[in-house]
Amino acid sequence: MTETLLRTEGLTRHFKVGKLMSRRQILHAVDDVDLTIGHGEIVALVGESGSGKSTIARLLALVYQPTRGEIWFEGRPLSRLRGRRSKLAYSAAVPMVFQDPYSSMNPAYRVSHGILRGMKLHRGDLTRTERGTELNRVLDAVGLVPAGDTRRRFPHELSGGQRQRVGFAQALALRPKLIVADEPVSMLDVSIRVGVLNLMGELREHEGVSFLYITHDVASARYLADRVLVMYAGHLVEEGPTEAVLQRPKHPYTQLLVSAVPDPRAELGLADARDVGEPPKVVDPKPGCRFRQRCPLAIARCEIETPQLRELADGRRVACHVAD
Amino acid sequence: MSAPSVGATDHVATPPAGPAPMVAAARQGRLGDIWHAISRSRKAVVGVLLMLVFVVVSIFPGQIAPYDPTAKKFPPALGPSWQHLLGTTSFGEDIFSQLVWGTRGSLVIALAVGALATALAVLVGVSAGYLGGATDGFLSLVTDVILVLPIFPLIIVIAAYEKNAGFLTLVVVLGVLGWSYGARQLRSQTLSLRRRDFLESARVRGERKSYVILCEILPTMTSLIVATFLGAALYAVLTAAGLQFIGLGDPNSQSWGTMLYWAQNEQALFAGMPLWAIAPGVCIALLGASFALLNYAFDEISSPALRVRKLDRARFPRAEPPPPEPMDAADRHVLKVQDLSVAYATDSGPVVAVDHVDFELARGEFLAIVGESGCGKSTLLYAIARLLGSPLPGEIVGGRVLFQGRDLVLLEERELRRLRWRDLSVVMQSAMNALNPVLTVADQMRDACEAHSDMSKKEIRDRSREVLRLVSIDPVHLHSYPHQLSGGMRQRAMIAMALLFTPDLVIMDEPTSALDVVAQRSLMVQIKELQERLGFAVIFVTHDMSLVSHFSDRLLVMYAGQVAELSKTRELFDRPLHPYSQGLLGAFPALRGPKVRLLGIPGSPPNLANPPTGCRFAPRCPLAEARCLSAEVPLYAVNGSLVRCVLQGHEG
Repeated sequence: MTETLLRTEGLTRHFKVGKLMSRRQILHAVDDVDLTIGHGEIVALVGESGSGKSTIARLLALVYQPTRGEIWFEGRPLSRLRGRRSKLAYSAAVPMVFQDPYSSMNPAYRVSHGILRGMKLHRGDLTRTERGTELNRVLDAVGLVPAGDTRRRFPHELSGGQRQRVGFAQALALRPKLIVADEPVSMLDVSIRVGVLNLMGELREHEGVSFLYITHDVASARYLADRVLVMYAGHLVEEGPTEAVLQRPKHPYTQLLVSAVPDPRAELGLADARDVGEPPKVVDPKPGCRFRQRCPLAIARCEIETPQLRELADGRRVACHVAD
Repeated sequence: MSAPSVGATDHVATPPAGPAPMVAAARQGRLGDIWHAISRSRKAVVGVLLMLVFVVVSIFPGQIAPYDPTAKKFPPALGPSWQHLLGTTSFGEDIFSQLVWGTRGSLVIALAVGALATALAVLVGVSAGYLGGATDGFLSLVTDVILVLPIFPLIIVIAAYEKNAGFLTLVVVLGVLGWSYGARQLRSQTLSLRRRDFLESARVRGERKSYVILCEILPTMTSLIVATFLGAALYAVLTAAGLQFIGLGDPNSQSWGTMLYWAQNEQALFAGMPLWAIAPGVCIALLGASFALLNYAFDEISSPALRVRKLDRARFPRAEPPPPEPMDAADRHVLKVQDLSVAYATDSGPVVAVDHVDFELARGEFLAIVGESGCGKSTLLYAIARLLGSPLPGEIVGGRVLFQGRDLVLLEERELRRLRWRDLSVVMQSAMNALNPVLTVADQMRDACEAHSDMSKKEIRDRSREVLRLVSIDPVHLHSYPHQLSGGMRQRAMIAMALLFTPDLVIMDEPTSALDVVAQRSLMVQIKELQERLGFAVIFVTHDMSLVSHFSDRLLVMYAGQVAELSKTRELFDRPLHPYSQGLLGAFPALRGPKVRLLGIPGSPPNLANPPTGCRFAPRCPLAEARCLSAEVPLYAVNGSLVRCVLQGHEG
């Protein structure tokens, strides 16, 4: 495996829910997640809505503080970050690209605004001219050509795909090491999705950036990622090389997820189409596997003991008492 | 146009079509656009012209007024004449000159109060909305208290305490009491912006709070801030005049309110000097009207939904439709859409969203309509169900929709109501929006049954249980409210409601797009089973063609408002004829099999306000030739499929 860039250890984030009058309840959005991302690696984080993917993105982007656990970036723990300067340095190294291209750019400013602001904030050593050159370079790198024309446009003059490219240009201008991309293509039309996926591949190739690609679209994760992490109800349930996890899923949830992906080239998989269950809301959970109510393989042990990730022979890790 | 390298880049050439409301919403906030909108609004133009007159008069009163307004040197109580356009006061002053000099007093108070109240409103409203929590609680409380204070009596008390209140006192008092309404509006606007990704993006970038508020939030609210200013100024004009009229201002100042005060004191109306009172009254009304007109105009700019655009029907001459061929009972078609066109009005003229669409639907057939956003698929669906208007704008400007032999386009609303739900039902994209949040599932089913049938209470109850069981929902959920159901259950409940009367046709607009893949697949399987069991026909609109690959009988691919291809589903997946269909199929990464690099389709769909001549797909087509650009392409029949591509023309 490549050298580790970012690593989390027992990363946990809880939210208080419930109104003033009722009992305070704790929503476990993310529980005990250990993940690693290597230099120049594209890691896909897949799962259904509410599984905790976006919370992880926001923990990595410092929008939320972890309830427990630690994030290590280039060997240093983030909880030790003190002062605005060191936090800014981390923000520049780990920028984020958002889901909704129609709301991720301020409609009152031109395309260049977010890119230039990022450079002013994080690369104070650049002169005005250098910023202009760099602006053209990043717009070029994300395929928005001609750059000189694009930078003067307003967001409403761009298509969804073009806006999403601007999002990547903003990230790129910070000289990032890891871009956290939260569902960057899910709101784009099919015909332009692939272009943005290819862009991420190219940026890894030419700029050496790592990606955490968060998605619910398993097929696109296969297209892009080296490794896949599967989340269910706040837990990481399976993790490993993309082909191994998606071609031969071991965790019963991964199996259900993969079989449900519509695939015009294959026969309709009806084996577990009767499953009408949905991920639970994890409020004040008791120990035990969170998938057990829907699981065809569940045994008594799953009721009592939360399965931990354990490594199988082919190098993947699965959080299941039964799978082998 | 189509170099191979284009696949990796995204040329910024033409503004894309994009859904019109979204573009409109995105446009607010830009000064250039606001100016553009003003110049097109009649209200705004009249308001601006009136305002210009007042501004010019208040800047050059000395040049315009013939006399010194305070000079008491003329005969008192003269009628209007060429020397004294509006006559003189009982003190021998020239009324016209007083009116001219008074303009400045009234206008300056209005502008000063407007500025002060707006500054306070922005400060309080935006801070409350953005900072949230306890800050919001406190600021909102202050705002609400000030909002419910009986302002005018309070001002009278304050102004009476400060005898003969001067200009500054008046401005401060009016400003401090007049910001609360604007603050509430700005707060709610800020709240709606707060979770927008561009603010999150600024925070993730590491910007400070003050920067986010001043440089990211405020510029997007320009038009609302202007509207707040105009509203406050209007209020200041009227309140200040009122206060001065009842003698609480400085009686020696030059303003319209003061004129009214003296006119009242001297009984002007009965002493033969009516213009002394009428002229300042009219001016106050005009200045107020000018602020009000501008305020309305800006309200419309900041929320485009308020604006009513009218479609110019004359541009769509309607040919007298030939009488419908009789559709007898033996006809195997449940629906025939013939030459259907839909247009909607925009600021830059009519846009034809559905352009001469033709298709037929057999009884019990499952037809999927696929296409990208803005291709007209939802508009087509709404047109068939005769639901255009809200939320989807548009009018049918040509063609027919024959359902069970009747032309739905010509039916009265009353007749349509009888048909809908019983024979033809609709399942919308978002069940959360389509279900009433304050009624239980049972209530909503009962309402539907009572409106469309004369079933008894018991029959309704039994039928409700039955349809819920059809979609695998336990009937205990009859007494649940929509928010108590999961997303998948809500969608299934919607489908259950659509099946209350076993209709012949169910129209579905992306019913699964809000669901996760697992729930999505189980819902699709369920729809298909029900359809085979109950025998209704389905029109299913989706942007994801792989979703319907195992479920639909035929597939209609739409591009830029037109039918691009209509084929049997399997046929279309195995041998797509139109280059657009081919491109779409090639844009889905595969879950199995060898990994191949995909290219997608370069560019973006055309702007329907100004579609390209010839083939509408030609600008993005890898196979485009010169002849594709010259003339509209007809639909060709090729081996039982229909395809709009000249490359297929010679084979047909």
